[in-house]
Amino acid sequence: MSKSKNSSQKSQTDDLIGAALVIGGGIAGIQASLDLTEMGFKVFLVEKTPSIGGRMAQLDKTFPTNDCSLCILAPKMVEVFRNPNIKLMTYSEVIEVSGHAGHFFIKILKKPRYVDEDKCKGCGDCASKCPKIEAPNIFDMNLGRRKSIYIPFPQAVPPVYLIDSDMCLFLNKGVCRVCERICEAQAINFEQKPEEVQIEVGAIIVAIGFDMLASKLPDNWGYKYENVITSLEYERILCASGPFEGHVLRLSDEKEPHKIAFIQCAGSRDFHIGIPYCSSVCCMYTAKEAIITKEHSNSSECYIFRHDLRAYGKNFYEYTQRAQDEYGVKYFNSKISKIVEDPKTKDLIIKYEDLDDGKFHDLRANLVVLATPLVPSEDSEKVAKILGINVDKYKFFKEKTLYDKLSSEQEGIFLCGFCQGPLDIPETVADASGVANKVSTLLYLVRNTLLKEKVVSVPEKKINLEDEPCIGVMICHCGINIGKYVDVPQVLEYIKTLPNVTVAVDNLYSCSSDSQTRIKELIAEYDLNRFIVASCTPRTHEKLFQETCEEAGLNKYLFEMVNIRDQCSWVHMEQKVDGTKKAKDLIEMAVAKSRLLKPQKESKLSITPEALIIGGGISGLIATLNIAIQGFTTHLVEKESKLGGNLNNLYQIFPGYQKASEFLEPFVNKVKSHSNINIYLNSNITEIRGYIGNYDVIITTKGNKVNNIKVGIIIVATGANELIPETIYNYKKEKNVITQLELEQKLRKENIEWLDNIKSITFILCVNSRQKEGITYCSNICCTNALKNINILKKLKPDLALILIYRDLQMSKKGNEEFYRDSRKNALFLRYSLDKLPIISKTKNGKFNYKITLFEHNLKGEVEFYGDLIILATPMIAPENFKELSKMLKVPQDQSGFFLEAHVKLRPIDFATDGVFLCGCAHWPKNIQESIAQANGAAGRAIRILSAKEMKTSGLVAEVIEDYCIGCGKCADVCPYNAIELIEVEKTFEDYTLCLKKSNINSALCKGCGTCGVQCPNSAIFISHFSFKQINAMIKAYLKN
Amino acid sequence: MKIVEKSDKKQVKKDREFKPNIVCFCCNWCSYAGADLAGVSRFQYPASIRIIRVMCSGRVEPAFILKSFKDNVDGVLVTGCHIGDCHYISGNEFTKDRFERLMKILKYLGLKDRFRLEWISASEGKKFAELVTTFTNQIKKLGPLNNI
Repeated sequence: MSKSKNSSQKSQTDDLIGAALVIGGGIAGIQASLDLTEMGFKVFLVEKTPSIGGRMAQLDKTFPTNDCSLCILAPKMVEVFRNPNIKLMTYSEVIEVSGHAGHFFIKILKKPRYVDEDKCKGCGDCASKCPKIEAPNIFDMNLGRRKSIYIPFPQAVPPVYLIDSDMCLFLNKGVCRVCERICEAQAINFEQKPEEVQIEVGAIIVAIGFDMLASKLPDNWGYKYENVITSLEYERILCASGPFEGHVLRLSDEKEPHKIAFIQCAGSRDFHIGIPYCSSVCCMYTAKEAIITKEHSNSSECYIFRHDLRAYGKNFYEYTQRAQDEYGVKYFNSKISKIVEDPKTKDLIIKYEDLDDGKFHDLRANLVVLATPLVPSEDSEKVAKILGINVDKYKFFKEKTLYDKLSSEQEGIFLCGFCQGPLDIPETVADASGVANKVSTLLYLVRNTLLKEKVVSVPEKKINLEDEPCIGVMICHCGINIGKYVDVPQVLEYIKTLPNVTVAVDNLYSCSSDSQTRIKELIAEYDLNRFIVASCTPRTHEKLFQETCEEAGLNKYLFEMVNIRDQCSWVHMEQKVDGTKKAKDLIEMAVAKSRLLKPQKESKLSITPEALIIGGGISGLIATLNIAIQGFTTHLVEKESKLGGNLNNLYQIFPGYQKASEFLEPFVNKVKSHSNINIYLNSNITEIRGYIGNYDVIITTKGNKVNNIKVGIIIVATGANELIPETIYNYKKEKNVITQLELEQKLRKENIEWLDNIKSITFILCVNSRQKEGITYCSNICCTNALKNINILKKLKPDLALILIYRDLQMSKKGNEEFYRDSRKNALFLRYSLDKLPIISKTKNGKFNYKITLFEHNLKGEVEFYGDLIILATPMIAPENFKELSKMLKVPQDQSGFFLEAHVKLRPIDFATDGVFLCGCAHWPKNIQESIAQANGAAGRAIRILSAKEMKTSGLVAEVIEDYCIGCGKCADVCPYNAIELIEVEKTFEDYTLCLKKSNINSALCKGCGTCGVQCPNSAIFISHFSFKQINAMIKAYLKN
Repeated sequence: MKIVEKSDKKQVKKDREFKPNIVCFCCNWCSYAGADLAGVSRFQYPASIRIIRVMCSGRVEPAFILKSFKDNVDGVLVTGCHIGDCHYISGNEFTKDRFERLMKILKYLGLKDRFRLEWISASEGKKFAELVTTFTNQIKKLGPLNNI
């Protein structure tokens, strides 16, 4: 690097701050924060409410896998809490922003909790004694009750109570202070005042989510009646930790409803008095809620009143079909006129028009669940004003351009999640990684400048396994949380008598900072080589104690934690004798395990800071550019002779009507001219070996030119193909029956002479998709694409007759509903159903080429018309060559052949195999906007690794004891992460050498689940920290007396 | 204080009853979290179980169950994430297979009612407490293992 470049870079970095502000602690904010710290940036996460978690924490299950929502979210919340580089500021609001991209000045208002966050242990003694009875519980959508001192929900992060200043007797009437007397930790502080905090950051991410304001609904939806609730209220009712403990009860009489009606589009897609857009997620969560209801009580009857069915994601359409076929949920294709209450029974009467028979009906239900519109957060305009950004006509934040929805119009301020427009959880998570990437491209020069690197001053103590174990035990009273129900002194005396327990102490709060000092002193004073804390749950506190041990020079895997609060004192409050015995047993079992603990090494893995992107379509181009800009060598492999992928076949793109070629050009040029990018056209990947950080890849170019490259990460952006319908509607024989892509190619020619002889064009949607067999899914993009082409054609030839035949119109997402209404004037829309497909016959010597016969579903009658050109909207399908790539990368495909992500909800662009990522249509059919956002996300996920230089592997891994391994490969068969390989090892016996197969576990890929160890027929796999011997010792210690 | 004494008296009476000893395996991500939630929600259940935490229910070797019975444990619970929810993608599917097979052996040994495999999610604190309660009652009815 030349000197001048160096100094210019220096001046560039002078003003940049290597930190970001994230506003909103829902899943969007959580994911963005976690990704940012991994990319080397400090994060200030500001959340308005007392806990992070957002809307996702309120959900019971998530579609389409019915994963427990909190189960998958809570670990991420704890991760945020424990992350030293995230400054979590809950119950706080941003009040002032100034400065510019790269360097913003932020003022934050921290509202008083009246509880000291550092002192509160979350025990809840205060709430149990708080006399002020019951305010509506906001987290339970006001269905449940809480005290005026409260925690929003049991898993809240931070796990700290707060006082509702509107409710508290002392704050309002000056009497009471019971909580202050009760709190052993002395955490109550009525003197707290609102506090202003000033920070400086380089970038801002807005992720403030959405609201569900049913109270603003027009009267006909009947929300005023007790037994008409919103779907978010119903989520709380379904949830095992909700107001009715997971029993499905209605509000009026707390009885189980037998007939439950779910109303979709209640107040949305309404251009007169409601919300004009489609909230995008209601079709799916309604199906989910109906399925879960049936799982709660199989005898209940679930009715879903639907309009269009918009099930556009992976396994979505199939899920709605399962609801009907397997769970017996009944769908009505209907329009609701109103919902009225029967005042005697409090049942509801739904008055609706059934679009299947064209008649008006009444249906009586015991409970009605409304899928009301999801609207921008109440604060959106206020936040927009503070940030100096704009909202759109719906009050969602306005994106920079149609194709860059992650950026606001203001440089350095980014948008993420539902506050920009409706989307589901996986899209939100992918966008969160995408905005983190955006921040990274802005601030990459100051990466790692503000991160706290942990420095351990005490060197790690050397442990000889032959040494006698010297165990220290600390038993926690947790105020009175343990001490009141478990006789701690008695437990302590008993534990002191156990062999190898060198020292045992008790204390009031083991998690306080003075206790950490005490632990370190004990380890030094008694030269301990193992340590145990018996207190609360390792899920929240193990990491803290492990860090303390490390600071004392003790390997963190020599620490063991016993849960005598959540799983003992709190659940045996009236069994002091038995509870005390249980605590003794649990600690004794831990002591038995502790004796056998081994220090585990966390090895460091170097990372090749280069990336491979497979596929040169728009997704691949975006991912490549984003990584290259941040200074990493990027290899882009494209099998065709030209970059651009499917965009090379399109005329104008949705939704902006730009010419695809003009849209594509700047991206292609940037990629071609960037010095960090190597392009391989006409090339295929022929071999991939290695693992995260260290992949060896062979690229073979046409003419057998071979390139060997070494990369740290791989992004799969291989796109998808349009299905060629072959036999359908006589496609193969008829030259005037063509696919949408063939139409685009005709349009691309710009010479429209071919239109001269065409008077009428018919579009048929859902051709060969959303069927019972074969292709069962909705391909997401065909509807908007067809409408776009209709509008283009109408412009080209205004007197053209255009007819669109559809089943359901997929017009979810911001703006699409209006786009559809606008397009209606350009075509005649006719509806068909799957059981009565349109028939196309050739006319003889007529004015037109074809006669189309159709049973119009809404009109309930046969319709006949003529056309010259038939456009078939066939689905996007996974290309055949995915199979080969899937084998090479060792990543799975889903049942439709698309690539299968690591987790449908929370890891939508990762593969289960670390270091390999996914974006664009290779994952699922998606439009250009979505592909670009996802490509940003994949780049972000990759940057986390590339920017790290080296990675620490966990010590919780499986290890092969080679001498015992018989090379059967059973372990490799069950490993979900492809971490196990059979390798050939030469073994020399006295006078001959044998080549033997042995299992080899890559500790960089192993997650330590331990299932391989169970599968091994010869006990040749050691599962560290949960070994066979250790667990057996625990069992043995339990009943040794 | 008074209340505690009272319950202590009750306890003395209870002490004469058979109190089962049960080992309960929990996976770190779902069922252990479910057991924690039972605590946070103060759902009470008998102090009959000793939880052994493993990362995944796929780590639980059938041998651990046999070892427990050999060591006079009266009952064994194995709990994990619901099928499809596994933190390790598919670990609990192997658990299911393994314990379906083990069940055949336990049937043969006359121990099948002393073992149960259950899926508990992180939000099913109530279910966890109920499981322990019903399973404890079931073992109580069966009596101590060494009496067989």
